[in-house]
Amino acid sequence: MQLRYVFTELGQSLRRNVSMHLAVILTLFVSLTLVGLGVLLNEQAEKTEQQFGSALEITVFLCRDDDSNNACTGAATDAQKDAILTVLEDSPEVESVRFESQAEAFDRAEDMLGPEQFEGPDAIITEKDMAESYWVTLTDPREADVVTEQVQGLDGVSYVQDLHEITGPLLASIDELTWFSIGVAVFLVIAALLLVGNTVRLAAFARRKEIGIMRLVGASTAYIALPFLLEALVTAVLGVLLAIGALAVFLEFEVIGRLSDRVDFLPWVDWSDFGSVVLIVAVVGPIITVLPTLLLTRKYLKV
Amino acid sequence: MIRFEKVTKTYPGTGQPALDQVSIDVEKGEFVFLVGQSGSGKSTALRLVLRETRPTTGRVYVAGKEIDRLAGWKVPQLRRQIGTVFQDFRLLTTKTVGENVAFAMQVTGHSKGEITDRVPQVLDLVGLDDKADRMPDELSGGEQQRVAMARAVVNRPQILVADEPTGNLDPQTSDGIMALLERINGTGTTVLMATHDVTIVDRMRKRVIELEDGRVVRDQAEGAYDSSS
Repeated sequence: MQLRYVFTELGQSLRRNVSMHLAVILTLFVSLTLVGLGVLLNEQAEKTEQQFGSALEITVFLCRDDDSNNACTGAATDAQKDAILTVLEDSPEVESVRFESQAEAFDRAEDMLGPEQFEGPDAIITEKDMAESYWVTLTDPREADVVTEQVQGLDGVSYVQDLHEITGPLLASIDELTWFSIGVAVFLVIAALLLVGNTVRLAAFARRKEIGIMRLVGASTAYIALPFLLEALVTAVLGVLLAIGALAVFLEFEVIGRLSDRVDFLPWVDWSDFGSVVLIVAVVGPIITVLPTLLLTRKYLKV
Repeated sequence: MIRFEKVTKTYPGTGQPALDQVSIDVEKGEFVFLVGQSGSGKSTALRLVLRETRPTTGRVYVAGKEIDRLAGWKVPQLRRQIGTVFQDFRLLTTKTVGENVAFAMQVTGHSKGEITDRVPQVLDLVGLDDKADRMPDELSGGEQQRVAMARAVVNRPQILVADEPTGNLDPQTSDGIMALLERINGTGTTVLMATHDVTIVDRMRKRVIELEDGRVVRDQAEGAYDSSS
């Protein structure tokens, strides 16, 4: 097969229809970027859920001296602690229980908030202000309510914190953003499909004389359609590259460079999550351009 | 080489068939004129040979193949055995004469070596060997039709289908084209030519098939345009 003709045709057609191809590339670029953002957000949601959903599902804070909870009659006794632990360990919804002492809680708080209020003779917060606690990992994060009910009200329990209540709204926002970007992407993908269709029609019309002659002298359909398919592939590759570039810039400067510094209690997506984004964008892009081209060349270039 | 067996072709939405029970048999190496008024079915017959359309009923055999049974992907193979020439030349105005002829070889997968060998040969055959680098619109109508004929025969087809090839040319130029067609026919190529040109048909004394309202009304060896003459 003589490919020289195919590539000459490809080059000519790309130049001749440059505005149309640019429209396709730009639409593709924006829609693929949104698709990629959707994938990133989805991964972000998973990460957030993993961190706050299963690892730190609920924390059972025990009574301490002078507890603000009136049900507490002083620091939880060893017997009370044992009773609470038994309830937790017997519960089928509980995977594991970890005990955190006052000293450990104090160290963790100091780590998180800085030493100013914790050091020296006049420290505002001392080890005695911290509560002992059980950190409970659940088998299913959605069962948090069940376990909370089981231990709430037991002697020696001050209060139960379900971190899911805190992360819930956050996860909901990420979910909404994910669906928003995918929803907008769907419209843009439809626009891209229509644009590709129009481009093929224009190109087929511009080349109708050549195509007519090719059919008459017996050029194969594949050979006639090849410049169209390569054209679709070139625009797809450019759109994909632009989208991946934009997503990479967003990830590097916005997420890694800014958000993960400012909001450091959240685990942020990073480069290790970028592979699947690239993969999905690189697959979706060519499908958007090649599929309508295949269908339309069958229609317009019928032998 | 070309055989129509009781071929009827009705286009959708029309009551009258374009071809009605047409049976024709053209042997290898024959030269056949297809005559008749506009709308008599000549173009439909040519389109069937090229498998641009299919018969409604009946069978059409071209180069030993029944065209209705030919799989779509084999149609290009069939067309490589048929050269085509039209009234409007259908040359690519952005390519030189040589490139126009080479185009037919390029798109059917011939090597560069074959192309550089054969294009000058056929340009020589049609008498345009000195005009390979000219653009089509620098040539006269007759010369343009010669380019089209060079392109039609460059892939060495067994059949040459010509649809009013002299329709746009003056009588003198037409004679030149006819001489060329005869020469091509002389190399063993079957020629099927649809025409309105009375003078040419009368002078050439070749087989004449006349169509009227989609029916063969005359099939005459060494015939003239009108049955009376």
